[in-house]
Amino acid sequence: MATNDRVLLARARRAYELGRLRSALRMAPFPLAAALVALTAGRPPALTAALTCVLLALAVGFLYRGGIAGRAVGPGLLAGTAALAMPLLMATFGHACFGPACLKLGLPACVAGGALAGFVIARAAAREQPHLRFVAAAAAIAASTGSLGCTIAGAAGVLGMLAGTVCAGVPVLIAARR
Amino acid sequence: MEGGERAELRRLMERLADGDRSAFRPAFALLWPRLRAFAVRYAGAADGEDAAQHALVSVFSRAGEYDPGRDALAWALGIAAWECRTFRRKRERRKEAVGAVPEQLDLGPTPEQAAIDRDLRDAALAAIGTLRPFDAETIAALAAGDRTPGATFRKRVQRALARFRTAWRARHGNE
Repeated sequence: MATNDRVLLARARRAYELGRLRSALRMAPFPLAAALVALTAGRPPALTAALTCVLLALAVGFLYRGGIAGRAVGPGLLAGTAALAMPLLMATFGHACFGPACLKLGLPACVAGGALAGFVIARAAAREQPHLRFVAAAAAIAASTGSLGCTIAGAAGVLGMLAGTVCAGVPVLIAARR
Repeated sequence: MEGGERAELRRLMERLADGDRSAFRPAFALLWPRLRAFAVRYAGAADGEDAAQHALVSVFSRAGEYDPGRDALAWALGIAAWECRTFRRKRERRKEAVGAVPEQLDLGPTPEQAAIDRDLRDAALAAIGTLRPFDAETIAALAAGDRTPGATFRKRVQRALARFRTAWRARHGNE
């Protein structure tokens, strides 16, 4: 390969990587919107900011990298939205969420949101080969998104959401693989 | 470009869109000579090389958004046609700014014939530039020798040429 072509190859490669990064950053409004919803529903700003940073880094990183992880971002965000919406809707519709009262409805809402997320991820993963990397990437995105809402019930809310995701997702995934 | 190479380029661009970096070098090796030949033919030797380089960088910059349903070569040539037009406009602006500078002529049987060919080519590129990108891409594919069989492509060509004629008449009447 001639020197000019090598220089051009390097330029084209740089353009390709920058183009991928630009495309990946186009999804940034979604985590920011999710953070705004969480803040509006009264979630603490510091915790919300930290979770949003994790979500942004994961989503942009996966989309930039591409492949299976990149394809998992969309379903992961969709699944996470369900887990985010359930506890926040519950809080919005008047359930007083202070101390132990949060566990009364907040925890079941997180579990239900997590179950919905697990179902969405498993259905999307059934179309992908191999499943495991896709499931891991989508679950990481969904967990970050869902945590923005499920921290309303503390660590128990996040754990409940994850438990719901596993309990609903695994059977659907096993059934899809048969 | 042979049908096999064309299909291979499509597969490579699809892999690049999905983030498979190992497809980069083979895609570059297939695309670069075609883009350079196309740009040199349509923008002349002087501007063609620069236009081709810009087009190549632009193609790879947008590779992440490539739609696998589209023909990769036609898509790339559409971008190259746009770059050629941009370079032609820049050259015209330079000429206007500097004044009437004698221009290097393309190879041709006679200087007069070369000038006529160049004017016609510039006029055609200007008319193509007013078309929608999809039509410009179709005409670029046709100019590059694309004869994809099938009624869909034939109709695309018919529509693109009809719009091209309309654009030509709007600029030049019925010359």
